[in-house]
Amino acid sequence: MQALLSFDKAPPFAAPLRFFLTAPLFGVLAGLLLLGEGGDLLASRWMPGALAATHLITIGFMLQIMLGALIQILPVVAGANLAQPLRVAGIVHPGLSLGTLLLAGGFFFGQPLALMLGAGLLGLTGAFFIWVTARALFGVPSTSPTIRGLKLALGSLGVVLGLGVLLALSLVQGWAVPLAALADLHAGWGLGAWAGVLLAAMAYVVVPMFQLTPGYPARAGWYFPVAVVTLMLGWSLALAGELAWLQQICQLALALVGAAFAALTLRLQGQRRRARADATYRYWQLGLAASILALAMLSTAAVRPEITEASAWTPAFGVLLLGGFLSFIIGMLYKIIPFLGWLHLQNYGQGRVMAQPMNRLLPDRYADRQMQIHFAALLLVLAAVFWPEWLARPAGLAFAVSNAWLFWNLFSAFRRYRQQLAEIAAKLAQ
Amino acid sequence: MTHPKTPHVVDARYMEPPEPFTATMEMLDQIQPGEKMLLLLFREPHPLYRVLRQNGHDYDTELMPDGTFEILITR
Repeated sequence: MQALLSFDKAPPFAAPLRFFLTAPLFGVLAGLLLLGEGGDLLASRWMPGALAATHLITIGFMLQIMLGALIQILPVVAGANLAQPLRVAGIVHPGLSLGTLLLAGGFFFGQPLALMLGAGLLGLTGAFFIWVTARALFGVPSTSPTIRGLKLALGSLGVVLGLGVLLALSLVQGWAVPLAALADLHAGWGLGAWAGVLLAAMAYVVVPMFQLTPGYPARAGWYFPVAVVTLMLGWSLALAGELAWLQQICQLALALVGAAFAALTLRLQGQRRRARADATYRYWQLGLAASILALAMLSTAAVRPEITEASAWTPAFGVLLLGGFLSFIIGMLYKIIPFLGWLHLQNYGQGRVMAQPMNRLLPDRYADRQMQIHFAALLLVLAAVFWPEWLARPAGLAFAVSNAWLFWNLFSAFRRYRQQLAEIAAKLAQ
Repeated sequence: MTHPKTPHVVDARYMEPPEPFTATMEMLDQIQPGEKMLLLLFREPHPLYRVLRQNGHDYDTELMPDGTFEILITR
């Protein structure tokens, strides 16, 4: 009987790792932008600095980690194997990184050429990723809510990219499109139907697995992704048909569905069997709290749209929503990186040399300290929306430090991984 | 723990990886050829499926309303 967890088809660790190590650097850049620009950046979502920082975080940090993780995790959670994962990583990682820099630079410096090149590169890179992933994923039957969620999220990513390219073209060419409404739709597809559905699909697996909670009830698991994507389609239809009432209903329903998912996750976490609250758990608690606040703001805005005209409304909403997503993602990274590293080491030892326990790669105390800085940074950024003159620059500095610390933690885990790999190789050679 | 589907059950729902895998392999070692065992998990174990296929075991998975995947494996 084979007593070794078969991992022969898993992509090499190098495939996702480059994404994980690059993402915090974009976070540092976003923090430095806020440090340099100060309160002006938070004055409006249309400020060049705000547009640049938003995309440094959503693409440079979030999308970077999401795509890197998918390359590694699709065989584990969906039984779908990408053909040539290292080659896919070798194309997607530079495309995404360079595209983000060009797009953010184009926004910040007001350079139409950089903006177009960035949007074009991101569109092509995203299309390539969707194509290779769809080939692997769409041959797999949707036997679990996770697989269905992944498929819907992937389709939604295509819509996000399409709308993003359309917006960039409209800005540069001066096309007469409703920019604000399209930007809202782009953000809705990006944060709701792509990031939100992907997060849920992953949560179905990782929350019970790493936090030892009960599972997500099957009915909620099947319907959440479908509900979000259907409501986003309704919102798109409302925009095309200029049906303001339909748009309001869809936004309100989206907020309620999202809040129900967050509340369900909180309830499951309350029933967890792991006594100790580790960094992942706390990160998720912060993410859930921030998301619920953001969704409460979204539902209020759906009922009373005029409230969004208040100067701090949109920046505060954005900080809460993005801060929530960052917290979920970092919390997951602190489990996924040691787990994947350990799995690769265990496999490398061929059952003859055992890998050291998982938490040796990334000891909890390092994650805890970085988490405290992250929490403080998020609070500062949120407070800076209301007191920009005093707090914007310290908030930017704190955010940059938090991300630099995250980079250091992840890089140190990688160094320990390399060290253990060499030790296992030496033992195998004996 | 027994179950209407089989008396040989591994309830791995609150186990940390890789415990579900090793417990399943141990149970498969214990039962006789042709006998069935049931693995309970809150996720679909795709890496385990691959090992089961490699070793010639049949399996059938059912998702229950509470989110439990019941994986019935034939040795």
